[in-house]
Amino acid sequence: MKRLLPVGISLCMVALLFVACPLLARKSQSTRIKAGAIQVEMIQSDEIKLPAEFQIALYENLIRQLGQQGFQHVYRDGDRNASGITDLVVLHSTVRGFKAGSERARQVTTVSGATSITVHCQFSRPDGTSLLERDVNGKVRFFGGNLKATYDFAKKAARAAHENFSLPDHE
Amino acid sequence: MTLKLATLFSRLVLVLAGSLVSMANAQQISRPTSVVQLTGLAGVKDNAKGTLSVESGNLHFVRGKTSSDVSASSIEDVVTGADSQETVGKTVGMLSMAAPYGGGRFLSLFRTKIDTLTIRYRDVDRGLHGAIFTMSAGTADEIKKGLLANGAHATAVEDSNPAALTPSSSSPNKEPKQ
Repeated sequence: MKRLLPVGISLCMVALLFVACPLLARKSQSTRIKAGAIQVEMIQSDEIKLPAEFQIALYENLIRQLGQQGFQHVYRDGDRNASGITDLVVLHSTVRGFKAGSERARQVTTVSGATSITVHCQFSRPDGTSLLERDVNGKVRFFGGNLKATYDFAKKAARAAHENFSLPDHE
Repeated sequence: MTLKLATLFSRLVLVLAGSLVSMANAQQISRPTSVVQLTGLAGVKDNAKGTLSVESGNLHFVRGKTSSDVSASSIEDVVTGADSQETVGKTVGMLSMAAPYGGGRFLSLFRTKIDTLTIRYRDVDRGLHGAIFTMSAGTADEIKKGLLANGAHATAVEDSNPAALTPSSSSPNKEPKQ
């Protein structure tokens, strides 16, 4: 009898876990914001002087990563086809911090020379209503060129978009 | 009367010469330059090696049998910059990291100077694109001039002289992007 009690408790816990997981998943899905398509605006860096290649790499990587995260329609800045799309989400990105590291320093010392970039991402409706705001950073610590930080940022930003927006085909 | 005719004739000659010069500039073909397209060119893979030239008003990128053109008039901004890359890079550079007594790390101190060319252009739907190229030092300015002569725009004129922007050779901005 004494043996049966812990086994029973364990079984109850496992059953509770099985029931709770789908319920929690459903809850998180329901809090997602509806997004018919996403339009990426050019990265702004008025306050921080960002090299042109970084700006372009951030923009291009962001578009590519959003596509890979399941957004079937990723529109570019100024694309005429985006007008009239229902539930369009516009992504405005502003560079808040940039530390240009050194690939040479990374290769020679391993521990120094990291490149980091912090970008404030604002997801909004075309009328300007803000839906989500988040600071996302990109880093390259050990191997690779400085532009790899833009890839790291794009991956994280696209993941944030995927977690917070529901896509029409994924419902 | 003769003076008036001579003045008129000289003006005509000047106008004709001016239009001929501008036409010649517009049609100029820069010699192909070996480049690496880091990212952004439609239909071309990242880090694709090829040749870049300005032909008949287009920025012309060729890789093997495939080519990609961007109309110079659709280019909103052209920026050149200076950079550097490992002299011994890629796989050999990576393998050399395993060399004893930091031999591999010593190799990474040797770097080759390169130029970068960054463009921003619009497609037919007015969608904004960007592309980044790297090439041997001293060649990006020629392509930039060719693009500007064919109707491309550049917002930052001072960037055409990268040395002015990055006075120190040890500046982190001169580190490689690849």
